[in-house]
Amino acid sequence: MSYKCSRCKRDVELDEYGGVRCPYCGHRVLLKERAPTIKEVDVR
Amino acid sequence: MELRVIEKTDDELRMEIAGEDHTFMNVLKGALLETAGVAAATYDMNPEQSGGQTEPILSVKTEGDVDPLDAVGDAAGRVRELTDDFRTAFESAA
Amino acid sequence: MASDFEVEFIERDDRNARFVVRGLTPAFANGIRRAMIADVPTMSIDTVRFVENSSVMFDEMIGLRLGLVPLTTPLDDYETGETATLALDVEGPATAYSGDLRSSDDLVQPADENIPIIELKEGQRLELEADAVLDRGREHAKHQGGVAVGYRHLQRVDVVGDAGEFDEQESNILRGVIETEDDELVLTDEFDNDLTERYPGKEVEVHDVPGAFVFHVETDGSVTAEELVLRAADSIGDRAAELEEKVAV
Repeated sequence: MSYKCSRCKRDVELDEYGGVRCPYCGHRVLLKERAPTIKEVDVR
Repeated sequence: MELRVIEKTDDELRMEIAGEDHTFMNVLKGALLETAGVAAATYDMNPEQSGGQTEPILSVKTEGDVDPLDAVGDAAGRVRELTDDFRTAFESAA
Repeated sequence: MASDFEVEFIERDDRNARFVVRGLTPAFANGIRRAMIADVPTMSIDTVRFVENSSVMFDEMIGLRLGLVPLTTPLDDYETGETATLALDVEGPATAYSGDLRSSDDLVQPADENIPIIELKEGQRLELEADAVLDRGREHAKHQGGVAVGYRHLQRVDVVGDAGEFDEQESNILRGVIETEDDELVLTDEFDNDLTERYPGKEVEVHDVPGAFVFHVETDGSVTAEELVLRAADSIGDRAAELEEKVAV
């Protein structure tokens, strides 16, 4: 799962045991990135 | 349009016309009532929320020795003529 | 059933028409009206593939907005269920408009170019590909070609005498189209919908003209008003022909 640190804007791989924390700056707010795949939506 | 005859005698007909709604059924009924030999014509349709039968059921009763199926055919032919006439009249005015 | 129809136009342009039809039964008039709303198919976006959406709205919300954009519909070239592809690519700061949609078919284009889809700020981008499908208003309101379709009875106004000299004139409001004593068709807008404006100091009588209907047809631009009426009539005619054939067997 790829996230982005909201303070230092670096990509963060979230590891299950390290808790929610940026390994570079220690910030605790991480933003989830949109998946790079094409999303198909049915309009109905 | 799927037809299913529910009941048919010499002068009475009950028929399901699946896939149609008031748009066509009311026009057809109107034409039937003006067809020669038709004593009574109506259709019944239930709203979707009622459950059960929701396709329209056409009932026709004829008099004399008119076959109700022929009457339906005549009425349908009449509707087709009317729409053609309407098209011609509309196009010549446009 | 009188079958000699007489049609007379009062107003007519691409998207808007007002006309009188004489010789109609109420059932037939209503059939045509209903067919215009629910049975004449139009193209409308139905599936959207989002390549990038960094706007502030969810994909589904943008998809819904795209679906509601009216698309011009060449009814001779498409069958119900057939699709055309459109694409949109807008980068902020800008507003994505319906006119930014690029179509694979020149005949399937947004009917209006100035419908805002979403406002994009700096760094936001919307890129997508969409399939428009031909379907009927009965399936989804976005496929409705006619947006304001209705009819009224034609009313005839006869002057029967003078109003009493000291009578208080009460306004007599009518809407739509009236037929005058000289068999002229007059839009009620012309006299502010008030008969006392047209016939001051007169006593008038208003009657419905039997079998005469004033249709008002307005489309969303997918098809012309004229084509909408003709296709509606054809749709009823086709079903009648189908029934006639099936009953004969």
